[in-house]
Amino acid sequence: MRFPDPVSRHLLAAALVSTGLLLALATGAGAGTIQGRVDVKRELLPLDPRPTVSELGMPPPRGTPDRRRSVVYLEPGPRGAFEESERRRATLDQRSEAFVPYVLAITVGTNVDFPNHDRTYHNVFSLSKARRFDLGRYPQGESKSLRFDRPGVVRVFCDIHSHMSAFILVFAHRFFATTDAEGRYRLDDVPAGAYNLVAWNDGQVRDSRPALVPEGDGVVEQDFVLK
Amino acid sequence: MSESAVSGARIPRRRRGGARALATGMVAGIALAVTGPAVRAGERLGFGPFGLVLGGEGTFSIAPKDWGYFNEIEYQRNALRLARLALQAELRVGTHVAALTEIRSDNLDPPRAYGLYLRLRPWTGRSFDVQAGLVPTVFGGFTRRPYGGGNSLVGYPLAYQYLTTLRADAVPGSADELALWRGQGWLVYYPIGSAEPASGMPLVNTQRWDTGAQVRVGSDPIEVAASLTQGTLSSPRRGRDDNGGKQVAIRAAWRPVTGLVIGASGSGGEYLARSVRETLPPSEAQRRYRQWAGGLDAEYSRGHWLARAEAVASAWDMPRLGTPPVPSPLKALGIMGEGRYRPAPGWTLAARVDYLGFGRIETSQGRVSWDAPLTRVEGAVSYSPLRQATVKAAYQHNWRDGGRVRSKGLVVGQLVLWF
Repeated sequence: MRFPDPVSRHLLAAALVSTGLLLALATGAGAGTIQGRVDVKRELLPLDPRPTVSELGMPPPRGTPDRRRSVVYLEPGPRGAFEESERRRATLDQRSEAFVPYVLAITVGTNVDFPNHDRTYHNVFSLSKARRFDLGRYPQGESKSLRFDRPGVVRVFCDIHSHMSAFILVFAHRFFATTDAEGRYRLDDVPAGAYNLVAWNDGQVRDSRPALVPEGDGVVEQDFVLK
Repeated sequence: MSESAVSGARIPRRRRGGARALATGMVAGIALAVTGPAVRAGERLGFGPFGLVLGGEGTFSIAPKDWGYFNEIEYQRNALRLARLALQAELRVGTHVAALTEIRSDNLDPPRAYGLYLRLRPWTGRSFDVQAGLVPTVFGGFTRRPYGGGNSLVGYPLAYQYLTTLRADAVPGSADELALWRGQGWLVYYPIGSAEPASGMPLVNTQRWDTGAQVRVGSDPIEVAASLTQGTLSSPRRGRDDNGGKQVAIRAAWRPVTGLVIGASGSGGEYLARSVRETLPPSEAQRRYRQWAGGLDAEYSRGHWLARAEAVASAWDMPRLGTPPVPSPLKALGIMGEGRYRPAPGWTLAARVDYLGFGRIETSQGRVSWDAPLTRVEGAVSYSPLRQATVKAAYQHNWRDGGRVRSKGLVVGQLVLWF
């Protein structure tokens, strides 16, 4: 998958990754864990509806998307990570005029359900190259499902409510994690080797750095501070 | 307020360099906001209890010269040949108060305030809102989506755009004089009142908002809104009242199921300028000249389909002058149906059929409608390569039973950018 990021840092990381993968293959290394915390220091302004000048009153209350959630992933994934054929399901909810979660990270082949829990219509759509779709309008209690077969970033919107947006990150491997409310993440069963670890937040790669997973059940701590 | 401002005519004026530069700045601002990666629609800038949200839209329409003036929205201003920039701001103070404005510039003319009002929600848990200032009309269904992004086509419904031959600042001296101008509402001259030729009034003017106050009660499944304003639907007044009369307007909307909205509207208010009334014979000068209007609208959507229908009926009290006299009231009825379908992501197909008819009057030449009835059909295909950019191509055909040009087809293109 392609994410915009600093070229020089990636060149260095790619060299380390290649070396590490070769080393891991040659030695038949075990699996480890990469974990840490992503501290988002950037100012993330709340998302509101566009000015409702032609409306006759205040807009209804709405949910607040958690824009601090980040995704940490390996790029590229370890060899062998692309051969899994397990089919998964995930959900991107529409609730209180917000997509929940704001960031959804999935593997290729995952079916995503889009249930509507609001009393009003929503019209979920995306014009992203990785997955263009338009689910049309459907009422509360109904859901539509889509399968995501190409890796990439899919920006999701509602055609009716301008302030509703979300991201779906589709990976070709399983070595990614979405941060929890405290910003913590954990990647398990990572084969030993050197990797490029990427921190993504709110539409962009914000940081990337090399991570070396030792042989055995080693745990690597890697924190990010995103400014 | 000048009489030209009352009737809706635009007197050609010298454009000031500073104002034009400001309008150009608005273009650059919207383009930057749409293309800039850092900008998100509706990002709220906060400071203390204040929250400021900005929005904007640029609509650029291009079409060959409309020699029948079917799409004039004011004198020398055509809806199909228009570059419109709109900047919107909403300043929220806590959860109960907000100040809203929309600044517009058409064809890089000096920007002007289209809307400017205060919004109050006294009780957080109740759907009860008060708005006061230069406010949107509560009447009708189309009035809340006249923007390029909210309109699936390029043209407006006839009831909300087509200029009839009636003016608020001048009146005909007889039925013959009224009939003389059939189909030429884009520039009308009458001997009583303002001596300047000016454009006539539409049934509902969506190009200007009115000064007054409104309340909205309820939301789902029934919402009722009412307003008290200085002008009328045809002739909104910005700022000072010029006839001392007020308009009362009301709209009720019912949503029995998700996706279906049925609305009913009504209004009544004094539209004729005091300057005209003062020139009338004493027997006529004592009367009050009101515009009465009623409307029904419905919208249903499901999946990738959306259908709308709307009817607006209007009647204007007229001074009974001359021989044969101008009858009172003069009536008009606009009916339109509209459909929209989204065949693929980013693509939209839309069509509208529209009719505007007028009551009949007795003239020395016989019985005719007081303005020329009009039928309009428009179809459009639009594509959005980006969420905030839409390109439309449309074909519109007009048939009119009067005027110099009676049938005209127009190919139209439009670019809409918003943030």
